[in-house]
Amino acid sequence: MSHSQNKSAALMQGVIIFIYLTALTILEYFVAVAFDAVPLLIVVAIAKAALVLYYFMHIYKLNETDSDTNHDSYAYKTITNRLGLWLFLLSDSFVFAGLLVMRSNLLGLTRPELNQVLGLGVTAVLLISSFFMNRGELLMAHGDVKGFMRNTVITFILGLGFLLGVVLLEWRIAAHEGLTADFGNPVTGPVGGVFYMMTGMHAFHVFTGLIFLAVVWNNARKGLYTAEQHWGVEAAAVYWHFVDLVWIFFYPALYLIGTAVSAH
Amino acid sequence: MKKFFTSALFKGLVWQVIGFFIGASLVTGIRALMGLSTTDTFFFTEPAWVLGSFIGAISFLVGCGVTDDWIKWARGIETHDEHEEHWHGWEKFINVSFDHKVIGIQYTLIALALLAIGGTFALIFRTELAASQLQFLTTEFQLFGQNGPQLYNTLMSLHGIVMIISILLGISGIINYAVPLLIGAADMSFPRLNAFSYWIAVPAAVTLISSLFLGGFDTGWTGYPPLSSRAPVGMQMFFMGVFIAGWSSILGALNVVVTVIRMRAKGMAAMKMPIFVWASLATSIIAMTATQFIGLAFQLVMFQRLFGMGFFDPSKGGNPVLFQHLFWFYSHPAVYVFILPGLGVISELLPVFVRKPLYGYRWIAMSSIGIALVGFVVWAHHMFTSGMNEYLRVPFMYSTLLVSVPTGVKFFSWVATMWKGKISTPTPMLFVLGAIIVFLMGGLSGPPHATVSTDLHLHDTYFVVGHFHDTIFGGFVFPFFAAIYYWFPKATGRRMSEFWGKVHFWLMTPSFFVLTFGMMYVGLLGMRRRIADYDPALGLDTAHLVLTIGAFLIALSVLIFFINFFYSIKNGEKAEGNIWESRSPEWQVPSPMSLHNYPTPIEVVGEPYDYGLKDAPYTRFAPASKGKGKH
Ligand code: HEM
Ligand SMILES: [Cu+2]
Repeated sequence: MSHSQNKSAALMQGVIIFIYLTALTILEYFVAVAFDAVPLLIVVAIAKAALVLYYFMHIYKLNETDSDTNHDSYAYKTITNRLGLWLFLLSDSFVFAGLLVMRSNLLGLTRPELNQVLGLGVTAVLLISSFFMNRGELLMAHGDVKGFMRNTVITFILGLGFLLGVVLLEWRIAAHEGLTADFGNPVTGPVGGVFYMMTGMHAFHVFTGLIFLAVVWNNARKGLYTAEQHWGVEAAAVYWHFVDLVWIFFYPALYLIGTAVSAH
Repeated sequence: MKKFFTSALFKGLVWQVIGFFIGASLVTGIRALMGLSTTDTFFFTEPAWVLGSFIGAISFLVGCGVTDDWIKWARGIETHDEHEEHWHGWEKFINVSFDHKVIGIQYTLIALALLAIGGTFALIFRTELAASQLQFLTTEFQLFGQNGPQLYNTLMSLHGIVMIISILLGISGIINYAVPLLIGAADMSFPRLNAFSYWIAVPAAVTLISSLFLGGFDTGWTGYPPLSSRAPVGMQMFFMGVFIAGWSSILGALNVVVTVIRMRAKGMAAMKMPIFVWASLATSIIAMTATQFIGLAFQLVMFQRLFGMGFFDPSKGGNPVLFQHLFWFYSHPAVYVFILPGLGVISELLPVFVRKPLYGYRWIAMSSIGIALVGFVVWAHHMFTSGMNEYLRVPFMYSTLLVSVPTGVKFFSWVATMWKGKISTPTPMLFVLGAIIVFLMGGLSGPPHATVSTDLHLHDTYFVVGHFHDTIFGGFVFPFFAAIYYWFPKATGRRMSEFWGKVHFWLMTPSFFVLTFGMMYVGLLGMRRRIADYDPALGLDTAHLVLTIGAFLIALSVLIFFINFFYSIKNGEKAEGNIWESRSPEWQVPSPMSLHNYPTPIEVVGEPYDYGLKDAPYTRFAPASKGKGKH
């Protein structure tokens, strides 16, 4: 009884956090449209990132102490693996930080002229995918393999939607509007290159995340994960949320901050 | 020979070539379809070379078999850890092994190979510098699509970067070999990742050196645009090689951090870790994070060349100074990556040969971390003349001078440790002492660069070159040799010849001083760096001739080292016991170590450096406990 209560409380928590994130994203969008207040946008992005880090990526698990001190046990290895994964993400975040530095150095308070509806759309899709990812991981932690697989499929489809939305639609529309990668246009200057570089690097990470999801889905199908032992699932989920986390900063950096430079 | 042709190394190389051709043909095919040119000076077009070399590197890794287990995991197949050794003798080192000791030696061997290659490059261009005017690298001279002065630039640039990669692999070698032993672990936390980090360095080195044959590059190891956006295709191979080697550094460092946090023996609290472990931790924290910045900076130039994205091209709205910021944000901390392990070796070995406790253990441990952290906020001292905002000069000057404080702490500790000690001077100790003195010279020649008013004159002269050779030899080369002489018996059960070790030291050290003081001297008199020729009117011919002779003497001493090294593996005097009378746990068991290191787990019961104290052991073997298995 208490087990299933736990489960529904946890699922409920996922819904609430998702609602917060949605509300903050809408707030962010209107702040940008109405006041163009960069510090406020940064605060909102940090708030969103904190929610994702804590409730979706469960960063607090890094604090867990060993229940089993035998170095060969699954529990001990999981804590070691978790540390390794987070250090990898720390390292990877330096790439994205570097891209943000480049963006602020080259563009300052300007940004590319992009399709706002599409931008908000892909952002929403990625956010929703994180919601399902979290749900899937929770179900796995309660031993519901079928539920996990179902939610992972939804996550995968949304993730693919994001990827195609950016690379096929967004890139094409941007190119059509005259935003070229080679900075060729003297009016737009470097915005094109920065835009393609940042979205490209992020899309590459989404792509690897999709492969990761497919792998854990397949292994779940083979029955390799249980409520107690599913490190692979946790890793895929944390990685997926990390990709979302990066977009939380990239979205305002590319779509909201500063004034748009039109290619025309 | 047959064993070689079936080894992972050979398979990997073959696959690298195959992968290269697949990637290059793919690009060529697509270009043909798009109606673009399909051939260029070096047969393939530049995009074909770039994608080909990238796919080649990946093919190497898959082909050599280091990713086999991961592929199995991804397909849901379980794998088992090895419990006995697969390969014997030299075959171990050209096949995939997950044993940290084998990997440590593999790293050391490739580092030595690159040291020899990079050193040869230096001898060639040093010979050209022996007299003013161009002697053999003349404008009529042609090789690999480059004329003499161009080849000079390529050799100079390759010397720099090959040596740097050699250093990164060399420190990985010592760290991989020693850290798990020092903390009493059976292996690293992620043995497969560890093997991967090593093997990725092999295609990286191949890619890097291939630039010599593809027109070379003339930017120096820093690869600044705009020059690097115009240099021949070799430039791309340089960027790609460093990018791939960067992954070796990042993943290897990550493994070290996790291992130090998770795998320490019972009772080894943070303040009881050997100093070398602290140093490795500090180094790894930098390598794991900052390396991403150089990777990114190089990628951006690669894309700038491939797609015309002018990130660093002012005519397109880009900013070349941005590159320098991204580059030095890694490359300054990287100089601490080079030296911290070496300084750790000094602190680790000094008490052994002085028979006294290490002075100020806590301060030394913290100084490594302190250097690592302060090292992140000094990068723009390389850019005083770059045209960056002038107001940035002052804060960077002070932050740079601040680094001398934790560095000075180390010197105080070393001197105090030696004070009234019973000093003995076998070869490893000689190199430790040499390291301290040489590094002091490097440290003293640093502040004149850090001070804006003097650096404006010294920048881009040979004075800088003298400075960093001192720091790198003191912080890496001397300690690296010390570590090899010291741990060689642990790895092989034999020791290297003392006599030839001493010859190596007494030949190398004075020649080295001639070389670096000479560099500083000609630098102060107006010799520019990175240049094939100089004006006879400078009057530096004699000085340069002496420098060149010094360089050849160093090379001779290193040659002696190499012969001693390879000869002693089979023929050295047997040394299976604790020949240095060290307190460190790895010396309490016979050499060479067995596969999973310690027969029973060790436990820390005392302080690491209580030399000279009776009945105060550092570690002991834990009484066999039930159910704990192999650990
Ligand atoms: C007291 C400590 C040190 C200080 C104050 C210092 C300061 C400097 C400064 C200001 C420069 C730039 C000079 C110029 O280009 O005009 C420089 C260059 C350099 N330093 Fe140091 N340094 C210190 C220690 C080290 C160490 C420990 C290493 C390496 C192991 C190192 C390696 C280098 C290298 C490689 C360069 C040349 C970079 C290039 O190619 O332009 N330095 N140093
Ligand atoms: Cu520096």
